[in-house]
Amino acid sequence: MDVVIAYLPAILKGTGVTVAVALCSVTLAVGLGLLGAWGKLSSSPVARRICGSYTTLVRGVPDLVLMLLLFYGGQQVLNDIGAATGWWTYLEINQFMAGVCTIGFIFGAYMTETFRGAYLAIPRGQIEAGVACGMSRGKLFRRILWPQLARYALPSFGNNWLVLLKTTALVSVLGLNELVRESFVAGRSTRQLFTFFLVALIIYLILTAVSDFGLRRLERRYSVGVRRS
Amino acid sequence: MADLAAGQAAGHTTLRVEDIHKSFGSLEVLKGLSLDAGDGDVIALIGSSGSGKSTFLRCINLLEIPDAGRVYLRGELIEMTTTKQGEARPADRKQVDRIRSRLGMVFQSFNLWSHMTILQNVMEGPVQVLARGKGEAKDQAMGLLDKVGIADKAAAYPSHLSGGQQQRAAIARALAMDPDVMLFDEPTSALDPELVGEVLRVMRQLAEEGRTMIVVTHEMGFARDVASHVIFLHQGRVEEEGPPDAMFGNAQSPRFQQFLATTRN
Repeated sequence: MDVVIAYLPAILKGTGVTVAVALCSVTLAVGLGLLGAWGKLSSSPVARRICGSYTTLVRGVPDLVLMLLLFYGGQQVLNDIGAATGWWTYLEINQFMAGVCTIGFIFGAYMTETFRGAYLAIPRGQIEAGVACGMSRGKLFRRILWPQLARYALPSFGNNWLVLLKTTALVSVLGLNELVRESFVAGRSTRQLFTFFLVALIIYLILTAVSDFGLRRLERRYSVGVRRS
Repeated sequence: MADLAAGQAAGHTTLRVEDIHKSFGSLEVLKGLSLDAGDGDVIALIGSSGSGKSTFLRCINLLEIPDAGRVYLRGELIEMTTTKQGEARPADRKQVDRIRSRLGMVFQSFNLWSHMTILQNVMEGPVQVLARGKGEAKDQAMGLLDKVGIADKAAAYPSHLSGGQQQRAAIARALAMDPDVMLFDEPTSALDPELVGEVLRVMRQLAEEGRTMIVVTHEMGFARDVASHVIFLHQGRVEEEGPPDAMFGNAQSPRFQQFLATTRN
């Protein structure tokens, strides 16, 4: 127990990094998801094709491969571009950015399907009523579409969030000092790997339990006016 | 020049709709429909299903974009243009939004916003579109809910109301914008028979107060008693039109006679 307490500050710091990676990634994923859903539902064939390829590509590639490609390969490409154009001499992608970009990019594809499905679930009449009273596109989105989109998207969003939170463990491979890596370091130096991975496991469980609680509150908030069946 | 003349002529009427054409794919639904409504007119659009009456109504506030034709509200023409693909499209989105805000629409399936209370539904347009103050909008909304007889439901959500109550709330929502013209798209068709009366009573009251109304309806009694002008559509064309007495007392076209025979029972 003493060893755990000795390493706890580092592990908690790692937990903070994990949460930060997850929150930044999910923000990016929601943005990409809304954009992707808009593209897939748009009348423009070009937008539909781009967003369709995006979701197909991401669903067909392992998260880890994409992450390694972006972190190692992306850095190389960036510096080749810099050398060729002379715009910059040396750029370094840090692990945090690489992690957030990859996870955001991957989950943006899942969010695309989440939001597309949610949009299709909104009865057309709800939107028509807004259009008919002269709402601008922005008002229509904020006042009518978004609250209802959130209602229909939340169950699937919650699912995505939990998977995303666990996927952040992959960033440890890039050497970012998040929860898994800190636990690994602690476990190896104390030769108590079992204990420290158990600690990591419990912390993940706490994070998901808190998420579950928050998600349920959100679902309640966005389901006002819906009769419970 | 022709447009200018038409615009000036339209100045006399509240709503003028000219020569609306609309096709869905290869199916031509509207084959050149026109309509004039002066202040306080109640125009009933009747016809069998598939005659195009709802589509025609939806073309007036551009929920459907007509392929051709013109809509004037108080003499102002809704400017249209064509895309590269040759499809008709409003030229100025802002103008369309502004004109829509002056055309109150009541839908067959009510379409109250399900995430808002009845009071919020009625306040939404005035606050968000007309930029009225919340206090003022609330007072007005409560007055309107009282008028349609559901002031006690102000804090309820739409899903907790009967169809008749929802439709009366939807009428209050449309009235809150103080529109120049009210468009009703089969307002009683989704209601249980025993709830039709309460909605028709509210509509009759509006007509008596001098509201300009265009009503797509299957209620022949309402068309006969309340409308000032009746238009019978058949396959996207006006088959017969006139004042209700003449229309119902002395139907001219065989199709309208046949329609009356099938609905009169």
